[in-house]
Amino acid sequence: MSTRERRDRSNESDRFLSKLFHDAVRTHCDAVTGKEISLAAVGGYGRGELSPGSDLDILILHNGKISQEKLKAIVNDLLYPLWDKNSVDHSVRTRSETRDAAASDLRVATGLLDIRFIAGNSDLVTAVQADSLDYWRKDAKRNLPALEKSLTERHERAGELAYLLEPDLKEARGGLRDIQALRAISLSGAVQVPLEKISWAESTLNNVREALHTASGRSKDRLLFQEQDKVAKMLDYKDADAMMSDVARAARTVDYLLDYTWHALEHKGKDGLGRIMRKPRVVNVAKNVSALEREIIIDSMTSFDDDPVVGLRAAATAAQLGLPLSLDTCSELSLALNGGQGILANPWPREARELLISLIGAGETMVGIFETLDQEEIIFHWIPEWLSVRSLPQRNALHRHTVDRHMVETAVHAGKLTRKVHRPDLLLFAALFHDIGKGTQEDHSERGVRLIEPIARRVGFDEKDIETLKLLVQHHLLLSSTATRRDLDDPATIQSVVAVIPDANTLELLHALSIADGEATGSAGWSDWKATLVAELVSRVRKAMDGIEVAQQPMLSDAQIALAEKGELRITLEHHSSGYAVEVISPDKPGLLSIVAGVFNISRLDVKSARTKTLGQSAVMYWIVTPEPHAPKVTEAGLHQLIAEALKDSADVEEKLIARAKAYASIPSIPVPDPEVEIFTDAATDATVIEVRSHDRPGLLFRIGAAITQSKIDIRSAIVTTLGAEAIDTLYVTELTGGPLTPERAHQVASHLKHALK
Amino acid sequence: MKLITAILKPFKLEDVKNALQAAGVTGMTVSEASGFGRQRGHTEVYRGAEYTVDLVPKVRLEVLVDDKDSDSVVDVIVKAASTGSIGDGKVWTTPVDQVIRVRTGERGSEAI
Repeated sequence: MSTRERRDRSNESDRFLSKLFHDAVRTHCDAVTGKEISLAAVGGYGRGELSPGSDLDILILHNGKISQEKLKAIVNDLLYPLWDKNSVDHSVRTRSETRDAAASDLRVATGLLDIRFIAGNSDLVTAVQADSLDYWRKDAKRNLPALEKSLTERHERAGELAYLLEPDLKEARGGLRDIQALRAISLSGAVQVPLEKISWAESTLNNVREALHTASGRSKDRLLFQEQDKVAKMLDYKDADAMMSDVARAARTVDYLLDYTWHALEHKGKDGLGRIMRKPRVVNVAKNVSALEREIIIDSMTSFDDDPVVGLRAAATAAQLGLPLSLDTCSELSLALNGGQGILANPWPREARELLISLIGAGETMVGIFETLDQEEIIFHWIPEWLSVRSLPQRNALHRHTVDRHMVETAVHAGKLTRKVHRPDLLLFAALFHDIGKGTQEDHSERGVRLIEPIARRVGFDEKDIETLKLLVQHHLLLSSTATRRDLDDPATIQSVVAVIPDANTLELLHALSIADGEATGSAGWSDWKATLVAELVSRVRKAMDGIEVAQQPMLSDAQIALAEKGELRITLEHHSSGYAVEVISPDKPGLLSIVAGVFNISRLDVKSARTKTLGQSAVMYWIVTPEPHAPKVTEAGLHQLIAEALKDSADVEEKLIARAKAYASIPSIPVPDPEVEIFTDAATDATVIEVRSHDRPGLLFRIGAAITQSKIDIRSAIVTTLGAEAIDTLYVTELTGGPLTPERAHQVASHLKHALK
Repeated sequence: MKLITAILKPFKLEDVKNALQAAGVTGMTVSEASGFGRQRGHTEVYRGAEYTVDLVPKVRLEVLVDDKDSDSVVDVIVKAASTGSIGDGKVWTTPVDQVIRVRTGERGSEAI
């Protein structure tokens, strides 16, 4: 089962056919007419690769001067001896007939790209070879979209090779036909295709196919369960799982390159295939990261050692913008990481963790980026544990994906539930790693707990969060199994859940994780029926627990209190690991939060977090902000002036913010869930707590603050947190006259806020 | 021959399955079902939003038996499925004209 054996088989067929052809020509032709015909191989046989069950694809070429009777006699002499030996797919054509056939049938056109001379007049074959390549190149603009369409139709029919339990090695997505397509695209010259990246995949898939043909004695390409053990044994694999894992990996490599090639074609195609393009525009989208030709690249002069987070930043930015990562950038990054450059510190800096979360939380577009990081072997430098589940098959009727892909899919589904929980970062992280313990005989939940701990610690979660993550991994099946197998009316059932889930915050995380896991598993693992049961269990358990814990109001230091009592505007600026820490002590006034947030925004400073509190006539605010790329340098004096001016008249700030919002609108974005506004009337005695959960975006806090001011209520405290791409803002609000809001008023404010943020 | 159909609380499925196996019943069909009887749906408040659970999740179990075994198998199911509380479900039987085992073509009681 090797390329060499397939080549030998092809050579053997060549010799056999050659002899038949010469005998036939000698019998029916003279020296002149003998020059008018030749025999060529096309398709897989043309490439010199023959599996035991493969068809012999041959083309009998003639120049049209040979008589029909003679031609018929030669063809018969050639084909009859083959009848019982091989299945033959033959055609008899002249050069111009071949040209017409190629123009009307894509499969003929691609098959001809592999044409190879076997016997007879070699000039005829050389001419057809030149014609075919010429046609394929010249008409690439028409041919390649047609090829893409035929591929898409085939993929829909045959499914994905990497994730199917009984896949078709040839037809499925990532299979052998896709390799032929890649070769054809490469020959069209429309785009560079690094075919060397799939040489392992090609020989692996061909070897498995050959073993399958040998084992089954038939020329079928579908790798059925019943054949898998036999085929694995023939190829010296440990077991069928090991072989399927290799098949999946090979298919993913092919699929990845194909996706990549289409992307490259599509974006080059905008300027016309093969034409000289305009100078491409580079748009800087994050520190050291830019968009070029609708791809995300790392800027060329970036030092990976000075900015080890840049890889994650590029990946997260690409995912959030819905653009792919450039292959060149990935190769460079991979090379640097392999060479020991750009290694992340342990534990990771906060920015790296945030970026990982915003990558995981980006939804559908994340799948492609994650695949790229896997294919380029970058992810293993960040999360070495991922290697143990790479392409790991699961022989389980419920699942449709390999373990790694299932976890990625779970994260995609979790991304839709981020508004339902108070800690979207923990939900997304747990979703991506909930099955990390799979792959041994040990219970995967128990093993997962051991594996998640070091990952979470390295990524930089604090001890409390690590405990929550461990709990989520350990009990990720608890809600579904309890809901379907135990009596929900029995108080003991509810108590058994309460006993392991410490609080309502963890419960809602576990509920969201169960839904995401179930939905990612597929209809066999999750249905409305099961969802209803789980929701019923959660609602009953919830009643047996205390309420949701919200962020607490900040405590002020004596020094801050002393300064606040002076009632003057005072700005202190300090360098911080993510940018600047800014303390603002200011006379309080309605809309103060949105004014200061607005000033930061027009100074191109991204708000990462904020803790503010009103004390008497003053407000004390502590902000962590990150400068955007190319942000002008900020100074204490400069900020002081801007805020002082804005406090006098905020109209200018608003105007500038609207202009900035317009500039942002040109940057592409991915679909995100709507913002969620939740009211807690009993979380504090003297104030109503409003929690806003939203996708983070420039000017978000300004808009929240402005909507609150319009509602004519006062913000006593604000706790602003950014978790990856998600922002959670907790506001302690009162009536202007003091005291909490009535429930009706609170709901009014909530719906106004929701409307203002849409 | 009789077709016994039972609507059960989901968590009782294991008990009923075990009891049936102990009673010598070798095959059954199980599906997810939802509906309501006298139990009706109820209103729930979850995360501040009120929603009505008008269809309650149940399991539907079907067993084919010989006429003579019908009563005893029904008894086994009822006994194993009972919790005594509302919503325990229902069991009913329907006469069956013919049963054929697809693989062998056996008919009648032979096919059960």
